Amino acid sequence: MRFFGFLLFGVWACSFAARADLLDHLRFPATGTQLLLWVASERGRAEPEVQAAQQLAAQGVEAWSLDLTSAYFLPQLPSSMDDVPVRDMADWLRAAQAGGKQVTAVAVARAAVPLLRAVASLEPAERQRLCVLLLYPNLYMTAEPLAAPDYLDLEILTGLRVHVLQPRRSAATPWLPGLLDHLALHGATASATVLEGLREGYWERESPTEFEIAESRRMDAMLLRELNAWGCK
Amino acid sequence: MKRLLTTCAMSLLLAAGAQAAGFEARASEPAPELKARDLNGAPRTLADYRGKVVLLNFWASWCPPCLREMPSMERLRVKMTGRPLTIVALDSAETPEEVKAYLSRMKLGFPILLDPDGSNTRRWKVFALPTTFLLDADGRVRYVLTGPTEWDEGEALRVIESLLTELPAHAG
Repeated sequence: MRFFGFLLFGVWACSFAARADLLDHLRFPATGTQLLLWVASERGRAEPEVQAAQQLAAQGVEAWSLDLTSAYFLPQLPSSMDDVPVRDMADWLRAAQAGGKQVTAVAVARAAVPLLRAVASLEPAERQRLCVLLLYPNLYMTAEPLAAPDYLDLEILTGLRVHVLQPRRSAATPWLPGLLDHLALHGATASATVLEGLREGYWERESPTEFEIAESRRMDAMLLRELNAWGCK
Repeated sequence: MKRLLTTCAMSLLLAAGAQAAGFEARASEPAPELKARDLNGAPRTLADYRGKVVLLNFWASWCPPCLREMPSMERLRVKMTGRPLTIVALDSAETPEEVKAYLSRMKLGFPILLDPDGSNTRRWKVFALPTTFLLDADGRVRYVLTGPTEWDEGEALRVIESLLTELPAHAG
């Protein structure tokens, strides 16, 4: 029953058709001044992500939801994210900004790579108007035991404000300071919040804890709370 | 002849598969510093285990693959009783309370060390859990495994036995 609800909702959301020359995405219109762009991880878009977008729209925050694996028919692998055309992503960001709303782009896991590369290709003025939230971003080129991590070259991010949301229960959490340093090295103003009691992708876990289930249902509230606390405008 | 070729091909395929999922041999690398405390608060370093083969496992109580392999580590401990192997499980970046909550449900006979601030995790450059290091009796890293395994059988047991045979006086 939940599946059919999800399906019907997807059809409804698609009726707000994205422009044909833009990356294929779901739109959840709202009349407020904020626009949140959600870029799903390399695992594709999960139902709680769609529900969060719907709940945000109901609270006046317009949401666009992009699943790169679906848009480009890519295998659900981290390496797939590295193949996403930067220009398409940049055009998508520009289209979002063209509406005049305050745009915050959110990327999950390896989807941070195409998002940041697209942001780097924007004009400085466009970049400065953008806020970027990254959920447990994977920016490694290589990360092997006993060797220092090798991060991807992110090019120029000068003027960009980035906030990382890092679940506490993640092998990447001890590496958060190094990740922020790397973002700062490329010119971004980087900060972070640790999400207590949660694991990466907590909304799509095979065996979620009760807390993770509850948090999956209030992802909209978590995002709004973090956006307000961060104060990126 | 055909049967022999088929057997050879199958063996190669199996060997390749085992290697892909298996242990990464290291050229006897010096181990990073281990500076942790056990559940009683006593400080522990690698020097405490010198002269024995050491299985150093980085894990966390929230990590399902880590918990899946724990029973096999306990079986390995029992199987290796009296032999110069020490199993040490270092919990990565959790509070003592979180670790103790797990241990109240899972009885383990090998030492558990704590790394609440993640400093050992960073020093050993651990990026995924579980990650396990096999050290020889001189405290040098000989094998690394990222991901879980069944420690009391197959490739894991063979690798451990190979390190133990380097200690002929104690291996039996």
